[in-house]
Amino acid sequence: MAGAHSVDSAGHEPLVRVAAIAGGGALGTLARYGVSRALVPPALGFPWDTFLVNVAGSFVLGVIVVLVVERWPPTRYVRPFMAIGFCGGFTTFSTMVVQAAQLGQHHRMGPAAIYLSASLAAGLVAAAAGMGAARGRLLPGAGERAIPDPDDVGPLFGEPAPGPAVPPGKGHRTDRSDEDGTAS
Amino acid sequence: MTILGLMVAGALGAVLRYQVDHRIQRRARSEFPLGILAVNVSGALVLGVLVGSAAHHGVSPTWLTVAGTGFIGAYTTFSTLAFDTVRLIENGAWRASTLNVVVSLVLGVGAAAAGLALGSLT
Repeated sequence: MAGAHSVDSAGHEPLVRVAAIAGGGALGTLARYGVSRALVPPALGFPWDTFLVNVAGSFVLGVIVVLVVERWPPTRYVRPFMAIGFCGGFTTFSTMVVQAAQLGQHHRMGPAAIYLSASLAAGLVAAAAGMGAARGRLLPGAGERAIPDPDDVGPLFGEPAPGPAVPPGKGHRTDRSDEDGTAS
Repeated sequence: MTILGLMVAGALGAVLRYQVDHRIQRRARSEFPLGILAVNVSGALVLGVLVGSAAHHGVSPTWLTVAGTGFIGAYTTFSTLAFDTVRLIENGAWRASTLNVVVSLVLGVGAAAAGLALGSLT
């Protein structure tokens, strides 16, 4: 009954989205399997394979989502394919907690706690770093969000505000003021 | 053959994650990522059962790779948990971000341990 007016936009696009998620998920899963085959951790040792996959995937997801949501013109399938599919399938939560629970079963509580907290700490830092990279440090001409210059303490002693007359090399912080009139 | 099964299972796991997350999140009407929490905790329980039963009753390595590494591995996700937590911190939602990490870990490890125990019984 809901099909009458939804054919237009919802008729086939969701199917392509689902295919994008499935394709990304298949490739992400394959990549994770490849890493785990390459870095076989010792039984009840630190699970480096899952740790590295999760941290790397968090970085990539941070980059992708910021590019798609804030930087690129609207795209339809990059997010389903790369973010939901690839990064989601590449990284894994269940393997991490089962590995930690197995360490706990063998009375290795310390390593289990270190594994979980290191994964989370590194994962959060990686996601934030990926987002930061996509917002300005990764691509040239990043205009939307000026990255504050840590050496810039503002005009001293009533210097004139930086304008077209500032010496070359010092005016890049104001680049965004020319054409970003629509940004709010 | 294992590789093909792994990829198909990974594709299905990712699509199921999207469906479950989307349905739960749409009803939750909150910025707290309840959908991914439900996905991750339920996946931890199922993977615990699989691994526990494999350890005690012997399951073919191919089946464990396809169902465990492939399907449940792709169904659950770590990167979205990390990203959502950073996004909550950026939005100033410190309580929600802390809650997200703590509840995910406590319920996740608890579900995994319960799954391992269940799997070794059945």
